[in-house]
Amino acid sequence: MRWWKWTAIILIAVLACGYGALSYMMGGPRDVYGFLRYALPQWRDGKLKVGDTAPNVRLLALDGQTTFHLSDRIGQRPLVLVFGSYT
Amino acid sequence: MNLYNDYKDRADFLTVYIREAHPLDEWQMKSNVDQGVCYAQPHSTEQRVAIANDFIQRFHFPLPFAVDDMHDIADHAYSAWPERIYIIDEQGKIVYRGGIGPFNYHPAEARAWLEKRFNVTPTPTTSAANGHPTNAAN
Repeated sequence: MRWWKWTAIILIAVLACGYGALSYMMGGPRDVYGFLRYALPQWRDGKLKVGDTAPNVRLLALDGQTTFHLSDRIGQRPLVLVFGSYT
Repeated sequence: MNLYNDYKDRADFLTVYIREAHPLDEWQMKSNVDQGVCYAQPHSTEQRVAIANDFIQRFHFPLPFAVDDMHDIADHAYSAWPERIYIIDEQGKIVYRGGIGPFNYHPAEARAWLEKRFNVTPTPTTSAANGHPTNAAN
């Protein structure tokens, strides 16, 4: 068997073992796929740092119509800004 | 919610609802199925606002609330997905930048910043609420 066939076999075996280990740690192969497909591309540490001016983004109120800027909520006291979703 | 209850008299709070982390049409988690929290990723402002309102009603969520727009402008500006905490001071400067959830999401760090800023440690309150982003309240 040529060297490249052995290389391919070893590479596939390593990838399979890695996927298996991740599946074990994350709960199942579907979770590994979900992590690689959806989470990894969206995880961004970003360039903001302490001392930077907070981006003055426009946000939507819960009525779905009213908009306001983050700066509207800044100025009187420290603002704890919490990002998240339901799921 | 504990953090909010402990510091709402000294600091302002704003929760920003962003793109779903585990919608049923992407990476749905078994825990969400078990809890009956099953939503597809919103594709319109109306859908996103509806889910945000469902969340608030289910948890009786008391924090002031806002919704990111469908271009995910706030999410991108703050690299917020799936969950993250910042504290912004009265001059509009970032004074605390939390890590990216879930692994580096530590509300206790935000609590420590507030404790240092106000030089006071409120008697911790307890809350039965449990879920995103109510974790911010710990």
